Amino acid sequence: MNAIARGAVDCDVHCAPASLDALAPHLDESWLGYVAEAGVALNGRAGGAYPPGVPAAPATYRELEDGLLGPSEPRHVVLNCLTLNEIHRNPYFSAAVARAINDWLRSEWLDRDERLRASLCVSALDMDAAVAEVERLGADPRFVQVLLPVRSDTPYGNVRYHPLYDAAVRHDLAIGLHAWGRPGNAPGLSGFAATYMEDYLANSQVVQTQLVSLVSEGVFDRFPELRVALIECGFTWLPSLLWRFDKDWKGVWREVPWVRERPSDYVRRHFRATTEPAQLPRAPGDRAALLDMVGVDMLMFASDHPHDHGRSGAALLEAIDAEAREAITWTTASAFYRCMQTV
Amino acid sequence: MTPTTSSTPSSAPSAEATPAVTLVDTDVHPVMTPPMLMERLSARWRRHLERFGRRTPMITDIYPRARNAGMRADSWPDVPGGVPGSDPELARRQLLDEWNVEYAVLNGLNGQDCYDPPGFAAELNRAVNDWLWEEWMEPDGRWLGAIAVPHDYPDLAVEEIERRAGEKRWVQVIFPASTQEPLGSRKYWKIYEAAAAHGLPVAVHSGGYDTHFGAGWPSFYIEEHQAFSTVVQRQLVSLVCGAVFAAIPDLKIVMTEGGVAWSVALRWALDEAWSVLRDEVPELERAPSEYIRDHVWFTSQPVEEPDDPDDFLRTVAQGRLADRLMFATDYPHWDFDSPKQAMPPGLAKDTRARILAGNACDLYGLPLRDGSDPA
Repeated sequence: MNAIARGAVDCDVHCAPASLDALAPHLDESWLGYVAEAGVALNGRAGGAYPPGVPAAPATYRELEDGLLGPSEPRHVVLNCLTLNEIHRNPYFSAAVARAINDWLRSEWLDRDERLRASLCVSALDMDAAVAEVERLGADPRFVQVLLPVRSDTPYGNVRYHPLYDAAVRHDLAIGLHAWGRPGNAPGLSGFAATYMEDYLANSQVVQTQLVSLVSEGVFDRFPELRVALIECGFTWLPSLLWRFDKDWKGVWREVPWVRERPSDYVRRHFRATTEPAQLPRAPGDRAALLDMVGVDMLMFASDHPHDHGRSGAALLEAIDAEAREAITWTTASAFYRCMQTV
Repeated sequence: MTPTTSSTPSSAPSAEATPAVTLVDTDVHPVMTPPMLMERLSARWRRHLERFGRRTPMITDIYPRARNAGMRADSWPDVPGGVPGSDPELARRQLLDEWNVEYAVLNGLNGQDCYDPPGFAAELNRAVNDWLWEEWMEPDGRWLGAIAVPHDYPDLAVEEIERRAGEKRWVQVIFPASTQEPLGSRKYWKIYEAAAAHGLPVAVHSGGYDTHFGAGWPSFYIEEHQAFSTVVQRQLVSLVCGAVFAAIPDLKIVMTEGGVAWSVALRWALDEAWSVLRDEVPELERAPSEYIRDHVWFTSQPVEEPDDPDDFLRTVAQGRLADRLMFATDYPHWDFDSPKQAMPPGLAKDTRARILAGNACDLYGLPLRDGSDPA
């Protein structure tokens, strides 16, 4: 995949501080005292999203250089730090760690390589703090989106999140919903997953409910400029969801009169999805039919470095023509995210 | 998707063996009104209802149905306190007679919530089944029944299956799609085993009590109705990864009212994940998609409607659904699918016939030939 994706905008690359020590320079005395007193540590696995057997996200720029930047020669990389997907429920600590991560991203990563971009971390537990963080750093052009975990306490269309979208739009930031998050909540209605495979695949179901929520609550009429990236949650579920969603809207639009267009129209205008995991069928004919139904213009390349999702991601790039490859590997992302090299 | 030879646990497709039947409705909702229910409960559980009620709110109270209160506008019986689905005579007229439905499967949902005490849950479901038999099935042989069971108390659920299984017109066992534990959980296996032993498929019907979502509580019915499909996606993943199909080779699952088109992409996702994570589920001897192919049927309503009907045909082909998809109306709900209009244009004639009747005939063994069929 490295060769075929050379020059790409890689929309999902992970990094994470190895421990809270790395964030210590960016936490104030009171939080450092809390960390010491309570014995708080990062589990380094995004709150259990990535099991111990999975390679840890790069903790230093050097690791990323050796593992990805050198071999792949990307045009840009969007760093997604999932450290905030911790298990605790303390909204104030969460906001403080979000600020610390963002400062760490700037000093340890973004300042070192002009190809790097990052998602701005905010606490999903405290919208006032999240808005304040967008105000604090939104002017830094290297942040291209606000990162939220796809698993939430309340779906993201809900009115409580609208101030964050207002702030994001004012700063020309996209919203990125990344797989996992909110450990302690079961991945669906019927209890906890028994295997990693179930929990992993559940991200694709949760993201569908987020998409439905954002459209149904009229978010895109309130914020016509808002753009949402669906990251590491797959995309092959999209056509069948839209067929069902458009049909339901025709039946019960009275419940959501602010949804003025067909749901699929909003989705195709405001959403993009990253390509890993690709979860493609194996038969070339099925693959072509699927990509036709999804629409290659909905997709943005991601390696999800350092994670492995199987062979579909590479197969995707091999299956499409040169024009579609250009779109998926960089031009769509360059138009979607601000401050990307566009030529 | 890996191609498989079609060795299914069902009887082989045999359109010529069932020439008489041309329309089977696999999802109809009879509803007991509160007075009907009270009448069939013992003094103890009547008092329980009067004193305590049920603490799990009705999903229709959480998400009011913004379309004729969720019902076909013409399906309200003209009697005080009547609710759509409570009058077998009206249902017979509006569904069986009007559309020439030859068999219709009654999926009663009164007992499908969770978190009732075991004695109450058992009695409630027994009452539903007694009512279905006495008021619907005995008077008219076109009605077939789904055995309602207290699924969260598997011993009691098995008792109810044993009580009904001798009567051939009980053609399946019904489970809600929202359960206390994922459907792959060992907790439910003895129910599956009992159903499979009697040759009864298990229908997984949208609903049950909604407690917690992966994204939290949504605001609207339109979201909950979308979630009907994501909820069963997760349940199907659980059934596969929980190795239920590997352990119970005769089990057949009927995904009901959760849609069908999603099942194609889900097979691809499962197979791809399995290619990386198969060590975790060594009980799976074959690709996940092959288990789904062999064990899972789908009812049509509310069938997904792409702008281009050819996309639906492609979906049927990719999912090899021609012998797995079964027509349903969802009478008396607002989004009733008519047998004349609901199926997309362009389906091959024999595929259409299989969806409207043949697949249900094969799965449920119709027409019934043991003399118990007065039709």
